[in-house]
Amino acid sequence: MPVEYYVTLSGILFAIGGVGFLVRRNVLVALMSIEVMLNAVNIALVAFNRSRPANLNGQMFTFFLIAAEAAEVAVGLAIVLSLFRIKRTVRSDEADLLKN
Amino acid sequence: MDHWSQLYFGFCAALAIAGALITIIAPNPIRGAMGLLLMIVSVAGLFLALHAQFLAAIQLIVYAGAIVVLFLFVIMLLGPDATPPHDKRGTYSRAFSGSLFMLISVALLWLVVRGGTIVTLPPVGDEFGGIDQFGRELFSYALVPFELSSALLMVAVIGAVAVARGNHISKKRSSVLEPPAAPKPGGANLELEPHGGE
Amino acid sequence: MMDSLFPPENFSLLALIVAFPLLGAFVNGVWGQQLGKRAVRFMALTAVGLSFVASVITFLALAKLVEHDKGEHVKLAWTAWEWMHTTGGHGNTEIPIQLKLSVDALSGVMMLVITGVGFLIHLYATSYMEDDPAFWKFFAYLNLFVFAMLVLVLADNLPVLFIGWEGVGLCSYLLIGFWYQELPNAAAGKKAFIANRIGDFGLICGMFLLVHYTGALDWTGIANGSGSLVSTVDLQRVHVWPIGGGEFRDIGFLPLHLLQPHAGNITISAATAIALMLFLGCTGKSAQIPLYVWLPDAMAGPTPVSALIHAATMVTAGVYLVCRLSFVFVLSPFTMTVIAITGAATALLAATIALVQNDIKKVLAYSTVSQLGFMFIGVGVGAFTAGFFHVFTHAFFKACLFLGAGSVIHAMHARIHDGVQSQDVRNMGGLRKYMPLTYWTFFASTLAIAGCPFTSGFFSKDEILYRAFVDHTVNPFRIAAYSDGGHWAAPNWVAPAVFIVGLLAAVMTAFYMFRVMFLTFHGDFRGWTIGRASMISHSEVSGHGHGEHHEDLTKPGHAPHESPWQMTVPLIVLGTCAIFAGFLNAPIIKIGGKPWEPMGKWLDPVFEDAVKAVGFRQPGEWAASMEWPLAACGISAFVIGTGVAYWMYIAQAGRPAKSLAEAMPGLHKLLMDKWRIDELYEVTVLAMVDALADTFAVFDQSVVDGLLPRLSSLIVVGLGTVLRVFQNGVVHVYAAFMVVGLAATGWFFVAPHADATVTVSDNGDYVVQASPGMGYSYQWDTNGDGTPDEKTFGNTQQVKVHLDPGKSQTVRLEVQNAFGLHGAKEIPITRPSAPLEVGQL
Repeated sequence: MPVEYYVTLSGILFAIGGVGFLVRRNVLVALMSIEVMLNAVNIALVAFNRSRPANLNGQMFTFFLIAAEAAEVAVGLAIVLSLFRIKRTVRSDEADLLKN
Repeated sequence: MDHWSQLYFGFCAALAIAGALITIIAPNPIRGAMGLLLMIVSVAGLFLALHAQFLAAIQLIVYAGAIVVLFLFVIMLLGPDATPPHDKRGTYSRAFSGSLFMLISVALLWLVVRGGTIVTLPPVGDEFGGIDQFGRELFSYALVPFELSSALLMVAVIGAVAVARGNHISKKRSSVLEPPAAPKPGGANLELEPHGGE
Repeated sequence: MMDSLFPPENFSLLALIVAFPLLGAFVNGVWGQQLGKRAVRFMALTAVGLSFVASVITFLALAKLVEHDKGEHVKLAWTAWEWMHTTGGHGNTEIPIQLKLSVDALSGVMMLVITGVGFLIHLYATSYMEDDPAFWKFFAYLNLFVFAMLVLVLADNLPVLFIGWEGVGLCSYLLIGFWYQELPNAAAGKKAFIANRIGDFGLICGMFLLVHYTGALDWTGIANGSGSLVSTVDLQRVHVWPIGGGEFRDIGFLPLHLLQPHAGNITISAATAIALMLFLGCTGKSAQIPLYVWLPDAMAGPTPVSALIHAATMVTAGVYLVCRLSFVFVLSPFTMTVIAITGAATALLAATIALVQNDIKKVLAYSTVSQLGFMFIGVGVGAFTAGFFHVFTHAFFKACLFLGAGSVIHAMHARIHDGVQSQDVRNMGGLRKYMPLTYWTFFASTLAIAGCPFTSGFFSKDEILYRAFVDHTVNPFRIAAYSDGGHWAAPNWVAPAVFIVGLLAAVMTAFYMFRVMFLTFHGDFRGWTIGRASMISHSEVSGHGHGEHHEDLTKPGHAPHESPWQMTVPLIVLGTCAIFAGFLNAPIIKIGGKPWEPMGKWLDPVFEDAVKAVGFRQPGEWAASMEWPLAACGISAFVIGTGVAYWMYIAQAGRPAKSLAEAMPGLHKLLMDKWRIDELYEVTVLAMVDALADTFAVFDQSVVDGLLPRLSSLIVVGLGTVLRVFQNGVVHVYAAFMVVGLAATGWFFVAPHADATVTVSDNGDYVVQASPGMGYSYQWDTNGDGTPDEKTFGNTQQVKVHLDPGKSQTVRLEVQNAFGLHGAKEIPITRPSAPLEVGQL
């Protein structure tokens, strides 16, 4: 199974996730698309590690990415809750308190 | 054996893409979370194909078992407000940025993949990606990032609690989701008050 | 031992020579006020004294090296550090410029003169400036001047020389305007600096042209590349009209094609352009026409300043530059003729003005301008050794004259207490019996400057006039100097004209110098009552603290007295040198039938390239046969000038002078007013500059202060209004903008950038180094034939190309980045031509 297939899949998933983040207005869906992007990166890392199996650097990188991203989701959702508490909406358009 | 592995890869890849598409397309975030779950599980399957057994397990436990659950909790907490009605504002800018991003990604992908030689993966032993080797390398080479990530997780916990806690919760509010009482004139809205009054 | 301690390429004693005066200037400048007079004096004197000792040691080391490498042009060098890089040499070759000092035969002599005469003048000044409150500042400036002058003569390349050049200009400004509280002194300082600056513009332009054509700025590099300076190929010449090359074509309905010259563009060789620009710099620094006007005004500074700067050292910097770059100047016979004619005209003009001046320092100032004219006559006709020898002797006798004048002024000032009156020759007279030492040294130097046989001035001046008559410069490479194939040579009348003008100036020099001497030292003292009456009200009003006594101002007062030993010892030393230094290059002293001339032999290796272009106007024995007749002309010039002066002022006690002045009042007034050149400049040049300044002032008020702020605020407000729309606080929108930036960054990283730098070594090996990039692989085409050296892209990041002198080649670099995209760049390289071989004269 050549590594290019995995890289292509990773690229496609990354593109999907990025487009989803930029297009969707619901912050929850935006956060989920970030997850999609991160998963795409994880696939690429593990695939490259598999193609050079001298050490496990790629997998460990993925491991830490998962940990960091879990932390990011936690804090992100906390922010969503705060936003909801103030503006009573989850639409990113409405979160324009820093306007001008 | 080769076409079985190709079939397996194709199956997992198709499911992953399908899951991602559901995530970004579905208007209902619960559906989106389900799509995310599908994608995560198929990515775990791909990890298995790549001899990353430990990582596949971690993926399932952390992602599917914790993160997606967290999403679902928040969606449930928000209730019907999690699905705001659709409106047409900002369609053009979003469409523009989305298509630009798609263009960039496709162009980069094409540049990377074209003309490259097809690299077949070298054979590896059973040890590779197993928990033994992973643990050994984690606690020898990657010890510092390991410690730092545990600190990171601690900070994230504290941060999430601090951010989500918000203002002083008075007994008069029925739920944490009610907006607070009108702010006192001349005072900042986000001061934390001492515990004692609770 | 000296070789191991100070090898010739790393002769660090040079650093000490330069560092001692700098240290002295720094210490005196920063702590001088607290240190007190004795410490300041000690610091200044030891600084210059140690520098002199180091110069002597360096000179001896150089002499030993010269003896060792018989006849070669050797030098001792020391590099401080690499200063900067520049590109030049017709292309993009990188040229490093280093802070390098070097001493060869020419700069060795200058170095000794600067530190030796400088030390004597410092000693003199310790007594002359005794009563001045800003004693410490004076010595700080004086040491700084010595430092800057040493940097100038010890420089190994033009930028370092320029540092010294500007430095002496600065110190000249500071020292001329030393008593700046009086407005005329400050104005004189400014005038000196501004006139110098105009010359510096020429020097800078010359430097730019040199680095472009020869690809180097140090003396050896310029010599190596001097072949590119003369050429008939149109592209390599300097286009004078249309400026910069090109062609005049009609724009719309304007018939500009009429401005195009008929026979093709008017071009001059690069050597002519460079030499003319450099000579402009010399006219500024060495006070020639048109920029001499600052030197007489510079007499507003203290007398030691006039002696050091405006007699012995700074004003000779221009002559030094011409001597240093002699091999460039001789490539342009036109410029050599211009230099000779300018020198002759200046010599005559200044001599005529000096005939009637009454201020003793002004006479000496115009005399300096005149003698500088002689030096330029010398270097302009190709007699570099003779011109430089005149610099050498002039330093001694002019410094002695100035210091003697200072001694006289010091004595007069003690009586009169008035600045202007104490310098007026009409108030002096008969000082011979009061100040005998000053008199005898002044007399010795006057003999020297007038050209009395067997004094130093005689040998140097005579040699210059002789060579002016017999020499002419040819273009040494017999290359057509004009694009029409003609060959420029000086017209036949130039040499006799220069000789006659020089002779006339010599006659006048003898006359006015002896006039001054007779009026000052002979006869009866006329200053018993002058100024005394004016002093009564003056000292009552201002309490002019000479720290003295209340004199009875109705009585004549004390007689003028001789100066203290610090002032007379330098006078004696300099006077002796003025008499005897001439024998260093006297053709009459023969050893075994051939002239001894040690200084000529010493300087020969420096000028050996340049003198190949200088020959006699008529072949054969004609030049040798003219030697005695022309020397006789010089001697008769001395006799006539001195005789007329004696007759006018001793025998007839000044009556003919008065009657002449009454007979021709217009001419007399014109000469007194310095031919009204300053007024002419004021009406023409300064008026233009004032008009320009007024225009700019109006422009500044109306456009810059009125229109532009309003315009820029309008733009800012408009842009703000537009940009405020983008800041709508929604994070998603910001993310969308980030994508745009991401696209641009991605484009930059994905596109391949091919770039390379070229460095050159001395033997013509050019190393082309490609700029690195992520994932880049390189493909070169070094021989310019269109096919790459290797078929595939490899990892060779640098290639070496060897070029012969005068050749050029284009190297092509193609890069391929990790994405497989290609980029290419062409790098043209040119090597400047080598110095050509000289044909038979």
